Amino acid sequence: MRYGMVIDLKKCIGCTGCALVCKVENATPPGIVWLRVIKHETGKYPQVRRVSIPLQCMHCAEPPCMEVCPTGATSKRADGIVDIDAEKCVGCRYCMVACPYDQRFFLAKERHYFKNGPTPFEQIGYQRHQEGVVSKCNFCAPRLEKGLEPACAANCMTKARTFGDLEDPNSEASRLIRDRGGYQLYPELGTNPSVYYLPA
Amino acid sequence: MFDVARSQEDVWIPTTCGLCYSVCALKVHRVNGTVVKIEGNPDSTTNRGRLCPRGVSGIMTLYNPDRVDVPLKRTNPAKGLDVDPGWVEISWEEALDAVAARLKKIRQEDPRKLLLTGTVTTQDEVPFAKIFAMAFGTPNGWNSGAGNHCGTAEHLYGALLHASWSKQPDPDHCRYLLNFGTASGFGSYYCVTGMAQRIAEARVRGMKHVCIDPFLSPSAEKADEWIPIVPGTDGAFAMAVLNVLLHELDIYDGDYLKHHTNAPYLIGDDGVYVRDAENHQPLIWDPLLGAAKPFDSPGISDFALEGEFSVDGLRARPAFALLKEHLKPFTPEWAETITSVPAATIRRVATEFGQEARIGSTIVLDGKTLPYRPVAVTYFKGAQGHKNALLSCMALELLTEIVGASNVPGGLLGMNSCSLGHPDSDQPKWIPHAGRDGLMVTGYWPNPPPPYPPKEVKKPETIDLRAMVPTCPGSSGALPVVMADPERFKVPYKIEMNFHVGANHVMTFADPNAIAAAFKDVFQVSFALFLDESTYFSDIVLPAASYLERLSHTADWMSSNSPVGEWCYHVRQPVVETIAERRSVCEVLLDLAERLEMREEFYALINVMLDLKEPHRIDPSHRFSWEEIVDRRYKSLFGEGRGLKWFKEHGLLKWPKKVEEVYWKPFSHARVPIYFEWFKTLGEQVEAMAQKTGIDLDTSAFQPLPEWRPCRSHRENSDGFDLYAIYYKFPMQTFSGTYDNPWLDEVCNIERFAYGVAINAETSRRKGIEEGDWMEITSVSTGNTVRGRAAVTEGIHPEVIAIAGCGGHWSKYLSVASQEGKGLCFEWLMPVGLDNVDIPSLTQDLCVKVKVAKAGAAS
Repeated sequence: MRYGMVIDLKKCIGCTGCALVCKVENATPPGIVWLRVIKHETGKYPQVRRVSIPLQCMHCAEPPCMEVCPTGATSKRADGIVDIDAEKCVGCRYCMVACPYDQRFFLAKERHYFKNGPTPFEQIGYQRHQEGVVSKCNFCAPRLEKGLEPACAANCMTKARTFGDLEDPNSEASRLIRDRGGYQLYPELGTNPSVYYLPA
Repeated sequence: MFDVARSQEDVWIPTTCGLCYSVCALKVHRVNGTVVKIEGNPDSTTNRGRLCPRGVSGIMTLYNPDRVDVPLKRTNPAKGLDVDPGWVEISWEEALDAVAARLKKIRQEDPRKLLLTGTVTTQDEVPFAKIFAMAFGTPNGWNSGAGNHCGTAEHLYGALLHASWSKQPDPDHCRYLLNFGTASGFGSYYCVTGMAQRIAEARVRGMKHVCIDPFLSPSAEKADEWIPIVPGTDGAFAMAVLNVLLHELDIYDGDYLKHHTNAPYLIGDDGVYVRDAENHQPLIWDPLLGAAKPFDSPGISDFALEGEFSVDGLRARPAFALLKEHLKPFTPEWAETITSVPAATIRRVATEFGQEARIGSTIVLDGKTLPYRPVAVTYFKGAQGHKNALLSCMALELLTEIVGASNVPGGLLGMNSCSLGHPDSDQPKWIPHAGRDGLMVTGYWPNPPPPYPPKEVKKPETIDLRAMVPTCPGSSGALPVVMADPERFKVPYKIEMNFHVGANHVMTFADPNAIAAAFKDVFQVSFALFLDESTYFSDIVLPAASYLERLSHTADWMSSNSPVGEWCYHVRQPVVETIAERRSVCEVLLDLAERLEMREEFYALINVMLDLKEPHRIDPSHRFSWEEIVDRRYKSLFGEGRGLKWFKEHGLLKWPKKVEEVYWKPFSHARVPIYFEWFKTLGEQVEAMAQKTGIDLDTSAFQPLPEWRPCRSHRENSDGFDLYAIYYKFPMQTFSGTYDNPWLDEVCNIERFAYGVAINAETSRRKGIEEGDWMEITSVSTGNTVRGRAAVTEGIHPEVIAIAGCGGHWSKYLSVASQEGKGLCFEWLMPVGLDNVDIPSLTQDLCVKVKVAKAGAAS
């Protein structure tokens, strides 16, 4: 079992709905952005392409963040999810330096979105986050336990995301990678990410 | 995910989104009274369980502390863009007393002194407020955000050619989408989420998408081919494609033109129909009989599309022949000089489009053999928001008509032109039908009456010229011009009061200085979520309930349902108790009707406009609550067993669409114009009325055949004003209204185009501007300057800068939106004036020339 996410860049329109739904599902405080969408432009006018690329924790099979963690707070689960145990994290942030995808976030001090205090949503939601520790995408592990997909996959309005078991050759995720030429980011680093992209 | 193990309450409530006009279905998760998640309702076929970023972000609209919570009264009598109104809190009782007193006075004097302004994003409150305004007795209304963001001429052609407010490519069968810059399927436009999903599927199955757009916009990014073009010249491109189709390739759908359009109608040298002497119907030429016959007479063997005939000794030619001859000079080489698109590219696109239309081919759907024309042409504000709107849009529309791709499989579909109703109730029901001269009349139109048959040209008795120019189907770009100087337009009154329901007209139409001047002496009552820039001009502000706090009489409308698949009607219901003293606008309007003693007129119009049927019509002998009216609306539509209670529980009702609803054109006898004969005759009436009333009005654009005419900006050569500024929609914000949402702000901060200004790499080099530099952008037309950060890109025409959405707020009561660098307000660059309005459609021209310099640099 190895959970993975296949993102079809032909379908993705860069709307940032995945980034927003991640924000709400995980109630991440200001500045903590477990999922973001960047744009990558190539070519010269008028022959130009610009592609939207959603980025999140790649849940690498060989995670460089785990290697450098001095307390064992970062671990890889049997299902492939790279997880952080906030109780063990001491906030040294070596993992943030090690992550080649820049997908780890340090919550120095809890802030709110509005200067006059937290909204009712934030009052409840931020109880799940600790100051002084590093956090990141966990493929919505609590949702997986309930048999649900990660929130970004469940909401994507172009259905660009397919979540599944990369070790199962019959999963839709594996089929798409095979049939549509799925690729990983920075394969040369040997991290072997579990997030794949289909060409735009 | 919220831990609900120890919760006393854990519910999911079905309702609909209200953050744009798409009306996506929601399931809202409430835990112990707090909304913790908004998801798409997977049962709904409108958005199929998915939401755009705005839809997901609604929690921050609900709980935003900048929201207005109590009624407010201004204490500072001076009004201005930066003048603090000096708000003090008052009770609802005091507020409504003041509002009612003012309304009473106006109603006694002249009810037309009341103006209703509203936003198009609330498909429940503003339509209901329109009923209130009609009952009150005023014809004056303005969907202000629509001035810049809407498509007045596009909607006109929607009515005339597609029997609908808007149009979409057939996502199931289209193979070639020629998209003039619209974001349909790419995060904006109607049925935004559902269409994004369906167009994404079309991309994967191989639909080719050619996007013509000055900027490599969110939709152009997804195209197989991006063709940059000079702003405001899309009509010239379309004219050249028509030229190639008709004069070089001889591609047109003769069978469609003969039987579904007025292409065979004979036109005299005077430019109008040659009519039968007895029944006055337009004549056609039957080439086998060698005689002219009324178009609808029995026994016609064929319809001539070309040739020259003699009827009663006078020359008569089929409309198609005139169109073809008219298009002859407009070659790709001609268009290249205007659009900057190489002639070879135009010729290739025309060839691909014409061939892919597969004229003559058929497809069998549900046992019915139908024409198969898998090409569609889409456009909206970008291509149509110009001085040449009517005639440019005509050219764009004719592309679809010439190849017969209108409302058939694979082609361009009206958004729900034909509704045969739910199988149990036969409601809601509307069917396009043939009217005067055999031409199509819409089965339903959101702003009745529909544009065809043409309305009477009246004296300028409305504040927006629409009484005199009845071809404008929506909001008029002339309103602020007339409002500022009614005497000049012979309007016999002044607007004294503005009933303002959720729009930010001060910053979403054009030059805020001009809008401020038009509104500063008006008593303004605002139903507001936020103290935005427009409320700076309000005398009283009433705290409005957001879409998550109110009940509605089904917000679904003609253009919210998906064009294919299934019908789906939803409930919009409160998901939390209304916060603080916020109230539903519809409830307040019912209260006000009592205070004004206008229950009888209001209820009579509610019965008509909400189409309440016996025994569910409301009787003015006693007072009805909003809940009761909503209940009766549902029961009128779907039967006694499906009232409000049923909808609250089930959330929605859906049923499959029939082939003859989606692809209705082959089943209809109604013809559509390819020669807009009545534009010519109506234009003459408008001209006569203008002369009679002494109003200077350029009516030269009332023409039956397409033209491209330059906008003011195309002729503008002032020193240094060398770039066009354009504005475009993007998926992270709706108009100006969502900018105070901090979650949307966070994603916009990451995307450099969201708050920045796109500028061509070579152009920026020439001007010494680098990525992230602050730039000053000055309009040649208004003299106003806006500031924005450069987002340098290869993906934009060298003569253009592009601004996303409508940011750049300045109200001190918007703690997120009014910070520096949160986008730009494009409207500062656009002038207000009839020189900048397409007269027949009353469309505001958003084509503007600017000077761009690095901030702080010597000019």
